[in-house]
Amino acid sequence: MDEDGLLITFRSECFVSNFELLGSDFVTVRAAPAIIDTVAQTIDVQVLFGTDLKNVYPQFTLATDCKLEPKITGKTDLSDLANPKIYTVVSGNRQVRKPYRLNIKFQ
Amino acid sequence: MSFRIITITFRFAILLISLSACQEEEYVLPEPVSQLTNDCLKRTIGPNIASLPIEFAYAMAIPKSLGKLVSAQVEASIPGATGTFLEHRSFYTNSGGVDIPVTVGSPSTALDDGKVTRVTFSVDTNAATLRYYYIVPETAKGQQVSFTFSVNSSDGKTASFKMGPYNISKMSIKKNLAVTNGTNAFISIEDMAVYNATAAAAIPDKIDLIYLFRSAPVTFTHALVSPNADAVYLPGVTLPSDMKRSTKLQKVFGLQDRNLANLQYGIYVDDIDFKNIDMTNMPNFAVGLKAEAGVWVETSDKKYRAYVYLNSINASGSAVISMLRYAL
Repeated sequence: MDEDGLLITFRSECFVSNFELLGSDFVTVRAAPAIIDTVAQTIDVQVLFGTDLKNVYPQFTLATDCKLEPKITGKTDLSDLANPKIYTVVSGNRQVRKPYRLNIKFQ
Repeated sequence: MSFRIITITFRFAILLISLSACQEEEYVLPEPVSQLTNDCLKRTIGPNIASLPIEFAYAMAIPKSLGKLVSAQVEASIPGATGTFLEHRSFYTNSGGVDIPVTVGSPSTALDDGKVTRVTFSVDTNAATLRYYYIVPETAKGQQVSFTFSVNSSDGKTASFKMGPYNISKMSIKKNLAVTNGTNAFISIEDMAVYNATAAAAIPDKIDLIYLFRSAPVTFTHALVSPNADAVYLPGVTLPSDMKRSTKLQKVFGLQDRNLANLQYGIYVDDIDFKNIDMTNMPNFAVGLKAEAGVWVETSDKKYRAYVYLNSINASGSAVISMLRYAL
């Protein structure tokens, strides 16, 4: 078990497989599917005109047994476009850590 | 041999236990009504809002040998608003599930400054179910109201049934306001009304939202924008300099309040929703609104919170909105 009570497994896969961004009404604010570059470790997402980025819910889909740091606990402020947020994926065996930069652009 | 005796004894014990465990209770015929009897249920669910009715069904019966029903009445702790009445027709439900009325008395009369609503029976009957519609008055907001239903019979007996107390919501409701891009587009939460540009210019400090429709960008479409919002959300709009309220908005999808949605769906917005919602850091615009979506609103002076619901939208640049308003 790790510090979050999650099982530490033998898996070393460490990547983001899907990304979604929901507005305060829990409806997607993406203008197109997010582009995830697992080599450059970036997520590029274009959001709809008028999106309130101070109150959004990012959702990451990760490889099996991975976890995300920092944790997403609710509404998130992603409005500082000049300083993209970094989310780190940690593998199931907790040995591999991959930081992903979340780049957001308006439509 | 002894093993066989033990087995038989064991089986006998099991049989005895089974018999005692499955003892059947004898059916007892229900007692028929032997005196003047009454019962009541509240048919309305959801919050009790000023100007809307609270509906009850009041049932009463007396054995035929004792007499007949003479009158029925309801006393409300707070007089109901105009439109409050006790049905003079008794309803039964037919096999198709339809409520069928049978006239049993004259239309109800209001007594004691509207506190009491009475129906006098005009037919010889010993059982009836009357509906009571209490229109919640403005004066009852934030208070509790209770009701005493009673019935008199020809043998001089009276039966009564107390209902409540019920909390009356602090919310106000306004339904089906038409908004049109460029004309009837100025919304006041305080007044719960929509104004045109000329009327709005006379009350700039009361205008909380402007309805806009733009086909470009494609995601703008129907929008509610605060007068003080960034110009990018007010394209082509010139406002009077003193119209500058910054109203906070939060988009909601799937919250089709039953009262606002003209009695569709089974969801209710209640006082507690307005009390608990966190409107800090919310924007002062909401674009890309869809039919049957809504926005939570908080006025810039923090006097009111509201839920504005879009009943319908029209691609030519108009919509029908309804709102619930809560005074903070």
